[in-house]
Amino acid sequence: MVPIRSKILIIEDDRKLSAALVSGVESAGYEVVAAGSAEEGFFMVHSQRPDLLLLDLTLPQRNGLDILRQIRKEGLDVRVLILTSHNAIEDRVEGLRTGADDYLGKPFSFPELLARIDALLRRFLPPSPAAPLTIGDLTIDTRTRTASRGGERLDLTPREFDLLLYLAENHGRTVSREMLAKDVWRETSRFTPIDNVIDVQVARLRRKVDDRFAVKLLQTVRGLGFSLREHQP
Amino acid sequence: MTSRLLSPLPSNLRIRLTLWYVAVLAVLLFVYAALVFAFQYVVLTRQIVHDEIQDAGTVEGLLFFDQQGRLQLRQDYYSRPQTHLLIDRLMEVRDLSGDILYRSPTLNGMPLGGPNRSGEGDTSFDERIVRLQDGSHVLLVSHIHSLQGRTLLIRLGYNLAPLRQRMIQFLLLLLVAVPVALTLAGIAGNTVARRALRPLERMAARAEGITAGNLGSRLDIANPNDELGHLARVFNHLLDRLEQAFAQLHRFTADAAHELRTPLAALRTIGEVALEKGQDSEEYREALGSILEESARLNETISGLLMLARAETTQPADQQSVFNPAELIDEVLSLLDVVIEERNVTVLQEGKAAGQASVRAARALLRVAILNVLHNALKFSPNGSTLSVAYVQSEDPAVLTIAFQDQGPGIAPGEHRRVFERFFTSSARGTASESGTGLGLSVAKLVIDRVGGEIWFDEEVPEGARCIITLPTCK
Repeated sequence: MVPIRSKILIIEDDRKLSAALVSGVESAGYEVVAAGSAEEGFFMVHSQRPDLLLLDLTLPQRNGLDILRQIRKEGLDVRVLILTSHNAIEDRVEGLRTGADDYLGKPFSFPELLARIDALLRRFLPPSPAAPLTIGDLTIDTRTRTASRGGERLDLTPREFDLLLYLAENHGRTVSREMLAKDVWRETSRFTPIDNVIDVQVARLRRKVDDRFAVKLLQTVRGLGFSLREHQP
Repeated sequence: MTSRLLSPLPSNLRIRLTLWYVAVLAVLLFVYAALVFAFQYVVLTRQIVHDEIQDAGTVEGLLFFDQQGRLQLRQDYYSRPQTHLLIDRLMEVRDLSGDILYRSPTLNGMPLGGPNRSGEGDTSFDERIVRLQDGSHVLLVSHIHSLQGRTLLIRLGYNLAPLRQRMIQFLLLLLVAVPVALTLAGIAGNTVARRALRPLERMAARAEGITAGNLGSRLDIANPNDELGHLARVFNHLLDRLEQAFAQLHRFTADAAHELRTPLAALRTIGEVALEKGQDSEEYREALGSILEESARLNETISGLLMLARAETTQPADQQSVFNPAELIDEVLSLLDVVIEERNVTVLQEGKAAGQASVRAARALLRVAILNVLHNALKFSPNGSTLSVAYVQSEDPAVLTIAFQDQGPGIAPGEHRRVFERFFTSSARGTASESGTGLGLSVAKLVIDRVGGEIWFDEEVPEGARCIITLPTCK
């Protein structure tokens, strides 16, 4: 599944968060190194040559953006994902302008972080749009925008189809409500009753996809989100 | 210090007022003095000419030729004491060829005026000022007179020196009086200005004592109708608003701390309990899931607080666009579609034609507001009930009213306003699982207030809750 072990450097001064990230990203199959300060991190960018840098912006002594600027000035080939609690649009714009490849506001959902890391390292190439996706006996045809299970066509609304497709594209992994709000509902503000809408929508989709079948594909992972998979974890 | 010296005007308003007052008064006084001086001079000169003409008439009667044919002035004239003024008189009589026939002793042999001018004294008195050989100026009149068959040119004048001396005295008097008057005016002006500004000083002293700690203190209003009273009133209103804002901020901070603590307490307790008794990985799984849910709630509360802060600092002109509110509501309804279906709620839209007005607002914020209001109504709508959205064009064509009526349990008496308070959760309505962050309606109210609209719950409805939003429309 993992052809090349990509190396990820985490520059984060909060030790607990750093330890949790290291453990989580490692168990996802990556090689992980961590630095607790900007100086150490900058040194390790050179000594370890990581493929991806998870960069906290508010570091003691030196701002994360400074490091990013220097890395870009030196022309180092490393993808950078910024992690920060400054979530305003202006902060995002500044981060991306400085040369970050992606930006994730704290607190983020771990599945989303993994999805972003995967996307940045292109480990999981998105399926070609014409090829039908299959998970167990579930088939999704993106060309005709139809889904069927066990040969029986599922009657889905456009929103339900988008939701199912998104879950299928991330199958085997957990998808958080934040990811669904952003990627399926295209909702920018987090402060909306959107989570309630998502829950209701997923419940309806589950009825259509799973109710008449013994194997339940669409699962709720408590506290994390939803997952489309054939087997219970 | 240097800047003070170099500054064109003193910084003290009282001194500045006084200086202006004195300067204006000085200009007025000088203009006035100049006018009076000129007028006085003209009047006195006229008077002299007038006297001279009268004198000329008198003198005509006193002139006679003696036996030798010399012109004489009747000497008994001097016996009249009331005509002694005539001693100052300068007189010269010529014949038409220019020969001097008589010259008054007061001239001391000096000629009065030059050679005869053509037509001099013929039709008028030809008054003019001439200079004598001794340098003194004389105001002169001329007159033609026939005496015993001969034609005489009488020139009669008064020395102007006494007049000029008096005018100089008058000028000196003015020059002394004006500065004295200005000094007095300056002192008076300063006193008046100080008195007029005294309430201002008192206000300043009072205002200086007002800090965040004692915002309740107010300025005294002596006379609410004058300018200073107006200033004090405006200032007091400012203090009112500040005090309200501070009180709100204070309450809000306390509430926020409380609201953040509650999920934190849950996090902690769940973790502690799981560690204490949990041996079983299923229990751990349960506890961790619960912890993640709580942390999501915590995050949502923080997002809500940030949203409130953002809406509060949004300037009315920020990110505004013109859009159709009915379209926005349709968009929100389609987002909530699945919840509406799930609850089997029927949404009725009435008077949609009226909803085709245009509204100028920050669309993203207004969308959040409407989403919160509609979601709130849905949350309390029983299964199978109806939710109506009615657009009403108000009497004022610039205001669009939208009413959201649900068939839920309604709002407890006395809570119609409080539902908009931050973190308010009704005792009567809503269950723990149903209630969200308690910020949704606060955000809605703040956003709609910012747009210039209003939002309230109708207290008159017999059943359910009726949320009314008014929005200012534009052409």
